[in-house]
Amino acid sequence: MTNEPKVRLRGLFKIFGRNDQEALAHVRKGVGKEELLANHGHVLGLQNIDVDMQAGQTTVVMGLSGSGKSTLIRHLNRLIEPTAGEILIDGVDVMKLSQTDLRQLRQKKMSMVFQKFALLPHRSVLQNAAMALEVQGVALKEREEEARKWLNRVGLHGYENHYPAQLSGGMQQRVGIARALTSNSDIMLMDEAFSALDPLIRTDMQDLLLELQDELHKTIIFITHDLDEALKLADHLVILKDGAVIQQGEPQHILMNPNDPYIEDFVSDINRARVLRVRSVMSPLIDSTYNGDVDEDSNLENIISLSGGDTNQIYRVMKDGEPIGQLDVKDLVRALVPRTRSDAS
Amino acid sequence: MAFYDGLFKTFGLSDWCGSGESSAPMSMADLLAKNSGEEASGPLFPFPSLDNLNESCSNIIQSRDVTKGIEEGFLAAKPVLKSVLDPITQPLSWLLDGALWTFSVVPWFIMVPILLAISWYASKSKPVTVFVAISIFFIGLVDHYDVAMQTLSIIFVCTGISVLLGVPIGISMSKSDRLQKSVVPVLDLLQTLPTFVYLIPLIFLFSVTESKLYGIAIILYAIVPVIRLTDLGIRLVDKDVIEAANAFGMNSRQKLVGVELPLALPNIMAGVNQTIMMSLAMVVIASLVSAPGLGVNVLRGIRNLELGVGIVAGIGIVLLAVILDRVSKAALQRVDMTHMKH
Repeated sequence: MTNEPKVRLRGLFKIFGRNDQEALAHVRKGVGKEELLANHGHVLGLQNIDVDMQAGQTTVVMGLSGSGKSTLIRHLNRLIEPTAGEILIDGVDVMKLSQTDLRQLRQKKMSMVFQKFALLPHRSVLQNAAMALEVQGVALKEREEEARKWLNRVGLHGYENHYPAQLSGGMQQRVGIARALTSNSDIMLMDEAFSALDPLIRTDMQDLLLELQDELHKTIIFITHDLDEALKLADHLVILKDGAVIQQGEPQHILMNPNDPYIEDFVSDINRARVLRVRSVMSPLIDSTYNGDVDEDSNLENIISLSGGDTNQIYRVMKDGEPIGQLDVKDLVRALVPRTRSDAS
Repeated sequence: MAFYDGLFKTFGLSDWCGSGESSAPMSMADLLAKNSGEEASGPLFPFPSLDNLNESCSNIIQSRDVTKGIEEGFLAAKPVLKSVLDPITQPLSWLLDGALWTFSVVPWFIMVPILLAISWYASKSKPVTVFVAISIFFIGLVDHYDVAMQTLSIIFVCTGISVLLGVPIGISMSKSDRLQKSVVPVLDLLQTLPTFVYLIPLIFLFSVTESKLYGIAIILYAIVPVIRLTDLGIRLVDKDVIEAANAFGMNSRQKLVGVELPLALPNIMAGVNQTIMMSLAMVVIASLVSAPGLGVNVLRGIRNLELGVGIVAGIGIVLLAVILDRVSKAALQRVDMTHMKH
């Protein structure tokens, strides 16, 4: 974690309106979102965003609609211009790039997957997947070979000559992902990429993304309004509310230690047994006899079925074959009950 | 005494107006009234029109001075206009004459297969092509083949030029709201101006023997839909797709050629279809200013009250219209199909 983050946002503000600089001064003085809209007629999109996104990790930005998450992701490739702040990618300030350099950045360093797929309807699946390379000016044969490779990888072998409208939503989004992968960029921006899909297909797509990420180690910035999805995909979770970051960190940590009533509300609705991992509830190794070994990354659901519901059992927690702690099933059961506001005090 | 004398007196303008006695020539109505020996008695409270005010104050111009002024102004500007417009529009004359010449020298047994091939290539539809064949056969049967070909050649040239000019205008309108705001009133004017009115200034500017005279009239009238629908089509392109194009770093040329124009194509084709129909409508009226073709026969029907001649030519025009409409609509549908295959 000590190395330079791939993407770094510093004091990012976005205010929508005619006179955004003047409104910015009000916001810096502490005027809130509602007040700004009512008294000054400006919409506060983002306020003082500081986020570091590490290379090779999945950063999930989560928030309800209107929280500014789609605005945030569009700042990274400057589809939206910020009112103030810095956007550093590999240490380079994106705000200082010329139009040509910006296009280079969008072509080579970043690719994007959209909620509504945004495929070109008049082009075949293959041509769509090859679009990024076509923009870069790669020769036809080479780019189609590359596109074919990634279409196979996302499970669309045999659909190369279909048109987007002939495919289901899930398959269209696979084309969207193949298009992003074909560009061979390090950073992938995914704007609610799976939100338009029905639940089963969404799970499939999440698994596909995890599988791809295991192999490719891209820097993924993923936007979602679904906490289950966020917890499943995130290495680093950022929670947005009214355009401000209210908590960010390791998802398990946020789950166990929500620092805001808003997050507590969120967290109370999810299936904790499936989301929480052994490593989040384990304690240091003290006992010497165990009922068995478990992996630090297995979820609590697995342990419950392993113990058969017996709360007297204690397991040894293993990481890469080394023991790193122990898990008392009683602790596990306690962890299943979300911390409420009264407990927090 | 005229009704408005009092008005000018109140404002103390009698001096400026002069004697109060109009020095302008009498209007026809006055002259008639004088001849019939009755005093002209206007309405009780006449509208303060130029003519009525002139009766009280001779320094105010009469309405006929307005029309005269327009005419004189136009005639004064004519040499300049002509020296600019004449060379620019000269190629149009050459194109029209060339097309007319080509269609007249190519014998029918070569021309008809070419036309059928074009309709097949554009529509890829058997019924449409067969219909075109039958229509041309019928037109030929009643000895209207030559005139119909003249009409067709004029339409080809004028539609082609309308598309060549209209699509770029439409594209630039879609890119700039300011340009759109300033062009739309001009398009509205072109569309609502009675078709005969187009011809009047053109007759003054160009010699009636030149083909560009009717060429310009047809293009001015027919170019409107292709401009409007190109503008509309590009503005209607899905914003998400444009955003994706931006996100993958396309420059504006790549966006235009690779995304916007292909997605706007159905709308542009609908505009071309309308343009073809409107140039056909105008080519008939343009026969008043020496445009050859079926319109001449219609004109003859009206002038000489030759009912049969007029109606046969009219049916020929209808057939041409249906042919052109069906072929271009079938082409439009084909473009649409390749976009949205389900």
